[in-house]
Amino acid sequence: MANTTETMNTVAPKVEPEVLSSPTPRQILLTKILGHKGLMFGAIVLLTIFLMALFAPLLAPYDPYHQDLMHRMIPPVWDAKGSWENILGTDHLGRDYLSRLLYGARISLAIGAIAALISGIIGTSMGVAAGYFGGRVDACVTFLINVRLAMPVVLVALAVVALFGGSLQVVITVLGLLLWDRFAVVMRSATLQLRSMEYVTAAKAIGCSTKRILFSEIMPNIANSLIVIVTLEMAHAILLEAALSFLGLGVQPPTPSWGLMVSEGKQMLLFQPWMIAIPGVALFILVLAINLLGDGLRDVSAPENRN
Amino acid sequence: MLVYTLKRLGLALLVTFAVSVLSFALLYLSGDPAAAIAGETANADDIEAVRLHYGLDRPLVVQYGEWMFNAVRGDFGESYYFKLPVSQLVAERLSVTMLLGICGISFALLTAVPLGVAAAVRPNSLVDRIALFLSVMGQAMPSFWFGLVLIVLFSIKLRVLPPSGSDSWQNFVMPTIVLGYYAMPAIMRLTRAGMLDVLGADYVRTARAKGAGEFRVMFKHALRNAIIPVVSLAAVQMGFMLGGSIVVESIFALHGAGYLAWESIGRNDLPTVQALILVFSMFYIVFTFLSDLLNAWLDPRMRVG
Amino acid sequence: MKQILKGAGIFALAMAAAGTAAANKADDTLNVAFSKELENVDSYYNSAREGVILQRSIWDGLVYRDPYTGEYQGNLATDWQWVDDKTLEFNLRQGVTFHNGEPFDADDVVATVNWVADEKNGVKTQRNVNWMESAEKIDQFKVRIHLKAPFPAAIEYLAGPVSIYPNEYYAEAGPTGMGLNPVGTGPYKVVSVEPGKHFVLEKYENYHKDSPKGQANIGRLDIRTIPDFNTQAAELFSGGLDWIWQVPPDQAESLTAMGGFTVANESTMRIGYLQFDAAGRSGEDNPFTKKLVRQAISHAIDREAIVQSMLQGKSRVVNSACFPSQFGCEQDVKTYDYDPEKAKQLLAEAGYPNGLEIDFYAYRDRSYAEAMLGFLEAVGIKSNFKLLQYSALRELNMKGEVPMSFQTWGSYSINDVSAIVSQYFKLGSLDSAQDKQVKEWLDVADSSVDSEERKEYYSKALKKIAEEAYWLPLFSYNSNYVFSQDLEYAPTTDAIPRFFQMSWK
Repeated sequence: MANTTETMNTVAPKVEPEVLSSPTPRQILLTKILGHKGLMFGAIVLLTIFLMALFAPLLAPYDPYHQDLMHRMIPPVWDAKGSWENILGTDHLGRDYLSRLLYGARISLAIGAIAALISGIIGTSMGVAAGYFGGRVDACVTFLINVRLAMPVVLVALAVVALFGGSLQVVITVLGLLLWDRFAVVMRSATLQLRSMEYVTAAKAIGCSTKRILFSEIMPNIANSLIVIVTLEMAHAILLEAALSFLGLGVQPPTPSWGLMVSEGKQMLLFQPWMIAIPGVALFILVLAINLLGDGLRDVSAPENRN
Repeated sequence: MLVYTLKRLGLALLVTFAVSVLSFALLYLSGDPAAAIAGETANADDIEAVRLHYGLDRPLVVQYGEWMFNAVRGDFGESYYFKLPVSQLVAERLSVTMLLGICGISFALLTAVPLGVAAAVRPNSLVDRIALFLSVMGQAMPSFWFGLVLIVLFSIKLRVLPPSGSDSWQNFVMPTIVLGYYAMPAIMRLTRAGMLDVLGADYVRTARAKGAGEFRVMFKHALRNAIIPVVSLAAVQMGFMLGGSIVVESIFALHGAGYLAWESIGRNDLPTVQALILVFSMFYIVFTFLSDLLNAWLDPRMRVG
Repeated sequence: MKQILKGAGIFALAMAAAGTAAANKADDTLNVAFSKELENVDSYYNSAREGVILQRSIWDGLVYRDPYTGEYQGNLATDWQWVDDKTLEFNLRQGVTFHNGEPFDADDVVATVNWVADEKNGVKTQRNVNWMESAEKIDQFKVRIHLKAPFPAAIEYLAGPVSIYPNEYYAEAGPTGMGLNPVGTGPYKVVSVEPGKHFVLEKYENYHKDSPKGQANIGRLDIRTIPDFNTQAAELFSGGLDWIWQVPPDQAESLTAMGGFTVANESTMRIGYLQFDAAGRSGEDNPFTKKLVRQAISHAIDREAIVQSMLQGKSRVVNSACFPSQFGCEQDVKTYDYDPEKAKQLLAEAGYPNGLEIDFYAYRDRSYAEAMLGFLEAVGIKSNFKLLQYSALRELNMKGEVPMSFQTWGSYSINDVSAIVSQYFKLGSLDSAQDKQVKEWLDVADSSVDSEERKEYYSKALKKIAEEAYWLPLFSYNSNYVFSQDLEYAPTTDAIPRFFQMSWK
């Protein structure tokens, strides 16, 4: 508990002293967050991966692009033929696997974050507009959501990437433009609920502008569910990028994407299974951490937990 | 009910229309179809001849109209690659995908529903934890990787299942697990949540109070009510799964529609890709339409919305 | 719930009924995997290696070239002669019947040749047939083939891609029907075709006795498309397959170490090369218009290392734009050894002291291309890598939008340099050099009937191509064949597996 208050003070220095005796909602929330194992686990793992990606140039033992054809497919250190020189071994061009893995984290995280940002902006504006204005706008947005849901994501993404050529920018844009549906659905219903709330009707009555109502009344109140969806869609985008790269129509070599690494390792599935195991496990842990974080955030921010 | 059905039908048709326009437009951008048909050895004159012959010089709207008019009658044109009618190709491959989809969704339901019920009956118990663990794993595991791991395990190490092909039932075991596991977490969570809700509801308490056996309460009263949203989710998931089978089919070399789609994209086989996008979309549209109707029929309150 | 269970039960039963077909030496069935979906079995309407393999088993040509000795022998023709340098006359073999019972005679040859030679019928690889003008029936077993121009490699082509179809059946079935129900005179007849997916062939019992191909030994061939090597190998382990090929080198090495199978390596006529946009079709100012840049790249790539550590087997570095065994493949050309310092120096001379950024296209062997990317990076050339499907890259190439690409060409296993150099350096839409002089030399060489003159002019062309570095020839390919130890088979350098020459031990 002492720990909690300390953190509290740094996070929210404005809090008055008497708050300590009767906890504020914010304090309760923080206690819940720290007490939620899944959430904490997810957050710590995600933070670790983030830091590893950020400091990849310092942590990576070698240049991830440096090839050495005479030292190809050296197994990782735990294998009988492995050595400490390349802890996770080398790939089919003799590039250090650990270094590629570290730099690959950057790609996955960037794709997850930017794609979620793009789709979040599209989906949230559509959902909020639909929920707030209702009527034709709502009908129109609902229709767009239906159209979007009806399109097979993987197939459309593959077709578009094939069309424009695989590159990081194209993949991120395609995913961003395809994954906004959940944002729109959830934001629409959340806004719909809020619209009839007293404080919103009150704000309308006193003549607040639509812009003001949207940004100062609606947005703060849907922020919680927004964060949950952001995490879900981040995970979704990361998995989709990996799948696209695996199918050969995603990020192009020599970029060290984890999906691409699995795809390159797939060739040697039979004799060097570690080549797919390592990037696969990395991908799994990253997505798991993001999902646990998202699930945890949903748990702690759920209304019945809020009091 | 009739009004609601008609309204939903109208929406479904409108969505179909929009998807068809999008898929037509999207793939029209993918290079010159005349050059693709003319093939690898064609020169500029050949390409021009093909353009005239196939009517690719006409306005896009006219071409779309013709394509759609034929598509409605089940004619999607000729595959650039196989030089066979696309509808024939797609129909051949679709049976594999449908079978896979049905197996997958059955697998998902057969594992998710019992687990969800068990988890709801004893929240926070070991069963609940296991169920949660499985669903969290399922959401985080990249399906292409899971498929490869299964191949290493069952085909290479244990040698009990064939790694690829679509000739026998054994070929479907691993793809079913991979595809089913993809849909499982959502169904499991929904079953669990639904059961928890229902178990706390008045009528269940009343049934218990009246001395109904636990088994009877569970199945006659609780599950029956909790399963409604699960069925509609399953229908939606089924639509998603057929679209998602592209990854699974390519790993296990199942010659289904998803695999055909992937190959056709690589081969620039425009008519096949267009037809497949439309067909997969139609599955989703039909399944959601049916599940909406089912819901409305089971729960009259829904019909108003 | 009950319904669902019942449904699942029915499916389980239905699938169990399908059963598995395992077979091998015991039931005289060879199980084979192809890794590519074949679009059409009709050999004139596909351009895939798988198509060539089926073609050699299902159909016969007028002539046959023994793959081990290189000697031409009569097959559907018993003998032939040049009437003049544009006319070939053939005496046909009597008593040959097609798989459907149709007897073979001059009408079949005339109909086939006239059909394929007509450009309107759209035979996929025009070069295989477009040297023929028409065929003429002299009597029931004598025909003449008229050439458009003198074409010394005619017999080589007639022994290769030109196979004879039954005229009555083909008139009715056309390429699509032929693709679904192929009918030929070859040692194997087709039992069933599932397009792109599954082909079953059976020994043709009435195969003509005097064929130089010899009679087939194995009773039944079951060919499935399995794109992924790992699944092929797993099937091989479980006995579901008896013969696979094009096994990647690393895997072949591991399989050799593992034992239990015969692993054979043979070189192929396919060579890999980098093609540069020397003509500047992708942009006037593009760096590849500068000879120094092309030469710099040629010095930057360690081809020997790629061959030794990646392609392995019987692959070799090639320096001339052809496969060494091909007629006219001049070896005495300018070579570019691996010298990154020189590469940097040449780049600086060309006006790129700080390196440059390029678009690098490829369609296969991503790992070889990636290795080249690495070597280029090391001398300061940054590449945007674009992996496309073959047809898509070819289309871009024809439009002249590809600055640099990694290409390969197998010459259709034709042992004559015209099958590669004349294909790419005669100012066609696929000619990235657009060198008029090279074209003129090739014209002379292609149409001359004097082999010394041909050699001389091909040599001139190849020397200029190397000097100008229009292409950087990289290496020759090899193929690894892995098969059951029960099987007797010796691979050939033309990389055309002939099923009729395989037998059980």
